[in-house]
Amino acid sequence: MFRDTFDKLSWSILVIAVLSLVVLLYVDGGTGSDKRTHGPGKALERELAYRSRVELISTLFAPVEKLRKEGNNQTALLKLDELIKKYPGEGHGHILQGEILYTMGAFDEAVASYVEGIKLNGDYVDAKSSLSRRAEIQHLVEEGLKNIGQRSAANPDNRTLAAFRQKINYLKSRLAGGCE
Amino acid sequence: MLRNREFWLVVSSGLFLGILGVLLSVWGNPENSGICVSCFIENSAGALGLHDNQRMQYLRPELMGFVLGSVLSALIFRDFRSRGGSAPLSRLFLGIFMIFGCAVFIGCPIKLMLRLTAGDLSAVAGVVGLVAGVWGGLKGLAHGVEFTPQSHGKANGGLLIPILFLLLLVFFFVRPSFLLFSSQGGGAQFAPWQMTLIAGTGLGALAQRSRFCITGSIRNFMLMGFRVPALWGLLFFVGAALVTNLVSGRFNPGLYGQPGAHIEYLWSFLGMGLVGWISVLIGGCPFRQLIKAGEGDADAGMVVIGMFIGGALAQSWGIAATASGVSIYGKISILAGFVLVAAGSLMFRQRTQ
Repeated sequence: MFRDTFDKLSWSILVIAVLSLVVLLYVDGGTGSDKRTHGPGKALERELAYRSRVELISTLFAPVEKLRKEGNNQTALLKLDELIKKYPGEGHGHILQGEILYTMGAFDEAVASYVEGIKLNGDYVDAKSSLSRRAEIQHLVEEGLKNIGQRSAANPDNRTLAAFRQKINYLKSRLAGGCE
Repeated sequence: MLRNREFWLVVSSGLFLGILGVLLSVWGNPENSGICVSCFIENSAGALGLHDNQRMQYLRPELMGFVLGSVLSALIFRDFRSRGGSAPLSRLFLGIFMIFGCAVFIGCPIKLMLRLTAGDLSAVAGVVGLVAGVWGGLKGLAHGVEFTPQSHGKANGGLLIPILFLLLLVFFFVRPSFLLFSSQGGGAQFAPWQMTLIAGTGLGALAQRSRFCITGSIRNFMLMGFRVPALWGLLFFVGAALVTNLVSGRFNPGLYGQPGAHIEYLWSFLGMGLVGWISVLIGGCPFRQLIKAGEGDADAGMVVIGMFIGGALAQSWGIAATASGVSIYGKISILAGFVLVAAGSLMFRQRTQ
């Protein structure tokens, strides 16, 4: 290991590099003093982005919420259609649509809207998320499972019912957790 | 067989894997994913910034535990041998496609059994696929499909993967600012790190001693029937997981609405079929590759690197299946995997003149 000049040179470089690394980590505390990394850190950046998103969502969908409070569900749905077309990657519109449709008694359509919303953003099934609709979805699944049996018995070959069952099972699976 | 030390080692590995596989879920890991090498790799790749799915980012200490437990055991029992040089690039690609297969099924062979023992009947298609894949791989081996032999020696770099995982463990504790951790979704569900690290290290050490492997057990059973201890390890794993699921109230039999599962049976079958076939060719399931990498096998190390690339791509390219089903990219990746393996089998086949 220390036989010739090359061995000695390699050992010297190794020791110097390791010592420099230790000193660098000690002085810098492993946080990175470089200006590029000096910002708030990725975790905080992400938290800020998440909160901004929640803020943006409440601003964007405020007119819809207002219409709902006034009991003007039809107009709220029309406004939602417009917003869903404008922001196709945002799931919140679908969730609101689901909530309104459920209040209006359109159960199957409400389930379909929830499914669309959750496919776009899984936060709605997370108990910890500020956007969480877990309790509502749980209720929807329980109700869906209850009435699907009766409806299937009456129409065993109905394809629409099969698709509805698939949607209920999707929501059930998302509520059950697991890796995504 | 009962007087055979190997038998008891394998049985203990299976037993602990089954119990801990369920308990880690009870302690906080995602449902039915107490231990899932492919999910953990996807989570860890995300934590390292290799993909941008914000719900799948967490540096899983279990992975570090598996590798470091294996290193410790190999060093203590003088089993650490640096070796490699057997078709490394092919193994890297096979590692990528092995994770694609797992991502389409949603889980590695260990999770396959955990899902099944939790009552997820949709996993049956995966079991059939895995067995079929192992059978296909064995047929290949029997007909001369094999890689060039490994060479032994320090120059193979068998220590690199253990050092990498040690560094990842340091990252886990130091938490440098470039690491990413999910605040929502599966990546935000984890058991206490002390539990995960102890469980991972213990299982890594046991698996290193016993050579326990899910696909290896099926392969050995196909070759030698009930005489092989490996099969008993698998049976004890399934039995222990089933009992623990029943006792902890996690047994919910059914086809639909299961956690982290879909009902596209054909793709579950094909996904696990691809994993089974590749596992036989490269000598072990994803879990076994980590253990082998820990005992100095640089070829298994290449598979591990491939698995990390695969984990990142599975999330970035939308290959990973979800409860809503398998995406077109997932289907394409599975078929591409079969093209690669079949073409590779034709190329690597040693033909008698």
